[in-house]
Amino acid sequence: MASGPLRVVCFVNQFFGQLGGEEKAGVGPQVTDGAVGAARAVQQVLGEAGTVVATVICGDNYTAEQGERAVAELLALVAAARPDLVIAGPAFLAGRYGVACGALCAAVQAKLKIPAVTGMQAENPGVDLYRRQVYIVQTGAEATRMLAEVKRLIALGLKLARGEAIGAPAVEGYFARGVTRNVVTGATAADRATAMLLDKLAGRPFASEVPRPAFPSVPAPRLVKTLEGATIALVTDGGLVPRGNPDGIEALNATRYGAYSIEGKAGLEAAQYDNPHRGYDTSWVKQDPHRLVPVDVARDLEQSGAIGKLHETVYSTVGVATTLAHSARMGQEIAEKLRAAGVDAVILTST
Amino acid sequence: MAVAPRSPRLARRGVLTVESGGASSSGRVGRLYYRAMRLELRWSEVDELVAGSSTRLAGRRLEVDLDALSRLLARDARLRGIRLDLVHPGERCRIGRVFDVVAPRARLDGEDFPGVLGGVARAGHGTTLALAGVAVVATDQQTDSVGTLAVIDMAGPNAALSAFGATENLVISAWPAPGAERSDYLAAVRLAALKAAVHLARAAREAEPDRVEVFALPPSPRVPAELAHLPRVAYVFQIHSHQRPTGLDEGILYGDPVRRMLPTLVHPNEVLDGAVLRGFMGRSVTTWATQNHPVIRALYAQHGRTLWFAGVVVTVAQATEPERVRSAFLTAGIVAHTLGADGAVLTKIGGGAPHVDMAQAAAQCEALGVKTTLLVEDMSTDGSAEGMLLFDFPGVDALVNVGSSHEPLTLPPMDRVVGADDLAPGLQGETRATYGTLCGAIEQIGATRVMAEVR
Amino acid sequence: MTPVAVMVGANRIVQAAGIIHPLGNADLSADDEKALRRRIVEQALQALRTEVVRPTVFTPE
Repeated sequence: MASGPLRVVCFVNQFFGQLGGEEKAGVGPQVTDGAVGAARAVQQVLGEAGTVVATVICGDNYTAEQGERAVAELLALVAAARPDLVIAGPAFLAGRYGVACGALCAAVQAKLKIPAVTGMQAENPGVDLYRRQVYIVQTGAEATRMLAEVKRLIALGLKLARGEAIGAPAVEGYFARGVTRNVVTGATAADRATAMLLDKLAGRPFASEVPRPAFPSVPAPRLVKTLEGATIALVTDGGLVPRGNPDGIEALNATRYGAYSIEGKAGLEAAQYDNPHRGYDTSWVKQDPHRLVPVDVARDLEQSGAIGKLHETVYSTVGVATTLAHSARMGQEIAEKLRAAGVDAVILTST
Repeated sequence: MAVAPRSPRLARRGVLTVESGGASSSGRVGRLYYRAMRLELRWSEVDELVAGSSTRLAGRRLEVDLDALSRLLARDARLRGIRLDLVHPGERCRIGRVFDVVAPRARLDGEDFPGVLGGVARAGHGTTLALAGVAVVATDQQTDSVGTLAVIDMAGPNAALSAFGATENLVISAWPAPGAERSDYLAAVRLAALKAAVHLARAAREAEPDRVEVFALPPSPRVPAELAHLPRVAYVFQIHSHQRPTGLDEGILYGDPVRRMLPTLVHPNEVLDGAVLRGFMGRSVTTWATQNHPVIRALYAQHGRTLWFAGVVVTVAQATEPERVRSAFLTAGIVAHTLGADGAVLTKIGGGAPHVDMAQAAAQCEALGVKTTLLVEDMSTDGSAEGMLLFDFPGVDALVNVGSSHEPLTLPPMDRVVGADDLAPGLQGETRATYGTLCGAIEQIGATRVMAEVR
Repeated sequence: MTPVAVMVGANRIVQAAGIIHPLGNADLSADDEKALRRRIVEQALQALRTEVVRPTVFTPE
């Protein structure tokens, strides 16, 4: 964490870098010493607290079309200037610019471990894409109140660079990132709950402390073949692993899954399997793994022709305290493998 | 609710084995008499805990005869070796392998911790001694799965996060006798903590209390006419989760292991006076918090003023969906049709399945027109707000959160470690922990002030 | 945990026989247990054949 005057690098697009308008949107990454264009407002607000040592500029079309390659190139220019803090934008309502600012800030944080901050208007697509990873200060649609907004941007940036505690979104002026952080409040949860219930009973407004979840709906695929012609795979999040857990699937917060062959097997022999899952008492499924993954019944159904084929690989992970992000990723990877193998449908056992 | 004067003399001792019409507290509505449960808690403040030649309370100094107490606890054949340590606030000490914390209480009449330590007798009616500022900390010396155990810091920035960073702590370390099975050992450890809690509190039996609290609540339907307009509020108290079945001697409700218990009613005083204990696997809940139940106290504080405390329904979180549905259905029926509640506060114990179980009970209550507020734990494991809740039911929209157990905490280096000799090298230095592993930082029944703020 | 499955948007959900043994029951004989397992799996196959437009819970008879 830095103290004393900070080295700051600013990122701006072709317009705010004073290279030109849309006709210059294709210019590639370049850097100028000191504060250029809109970066001068940043320097003005920074005052003694820091120096804009370089301004990195890139055209909006270049960043939009080149994507990751542009970010990598910009990252190199930023790194060369050895900043303590990176300030991108503000991008207001300019979509390509906002997305570029978000992407660059995310990369600066992740790869260079340098604090970064940007600003844009609520409907800029960069907000939804990057709000979770990057502090994005809320601005207006145009540069009319830019000075005031840059002040908020700098104030937040300085806190990040100095390792100071960041306040709530409403206080600091950034978009809620959808992350949670434990704080100590003034009253116990029991007292807060009693007060909240009395408000609810009286019809007074109350502020729930947890936002309602919103999961996108997934269209339900249709099984095109008949069951007699279909290949069915078995998947589980109940933690079935071969003895010794060769893939090292974690007992909690799993980030890995395993692919286990049942080719030629009529069933699962208990002695060959184990179960590290910590979210339920696994003794019953260790005693008989079919209570979790019904290979025996599925084989019978395959033999009788009720289903066309039982897929020879069982996919398994441990579903306790698994993050949404990892769950979605693992599900996607498993689905892709199954589809590539010609599987038509999946029976997933969950505990 | 009348405010009772202090009792001028100690109540009669003795074991109450038969409930008869001789209850010492009664009231009158019109021409009908009724019995009211009345608990008098006589508090003595303690700010010093030292070893002494006998266990006695001298002013605010509690002296403990550690040898006599050790010998008392060592009589349990399931244990081999007892060590007692005294740990003080402000000491650069970390207590490890924490299993549970118990508040020192002793009945002046009746049975202590009925059904577990004492015989089955009414809790919550009569007089109980309580010591403020002292806690009994039980450690688990058997398990290798130390990630499931908690720590308590007595100094440093995290001491203030937990009630136990500010209490004088008697730490019990007891080892299993050879061949003692897990549930035997845990039952013995918990019993040792209860015995120690009673032993300490009895030191106050001759003392003039520093303050007295009286909890008196008549049977639920008996509401004086002038208070009948108050909203009736019930508390739905999930006391155990069947993610793991209880052991036979894992007494939770008057000593019953509550296996597959259907929802039932208890008087709030019974919870405040030792009838309900934490089981062996309750995460982020201590017996201490249960004894000082914050929701029950909060509702009592408002009783007769902004609400009428309609009663306490105890439930367990079931392990199968049909049982969960049935339990939610029965709970809602009791809350709406028997207690006639207008509103209900709900809490849970355990992890994700109980979180959903509690929400299902609340949804059923809302469907019957009972407004609910729930205390939820942030279920997200990666700090993302979208993972906080595992349910979305109509009407279940008033949520208080008790924080995220998964959020990391750094515990600073300490000078000594108590209760965890084998882990001391790791625990004594700077330690990465979580809010959940700091005992008392998060209490799911609402005793704490930590909240997961959405940023 | 069917409400969780409904909430996250799983479309075809079959109610199984409990967390600790979703496709079994230690109280039953081995034959009865396998018969129970077969019934649940057959319900799952039936669900796969059923067209659904939103999260739907299927309960085995």
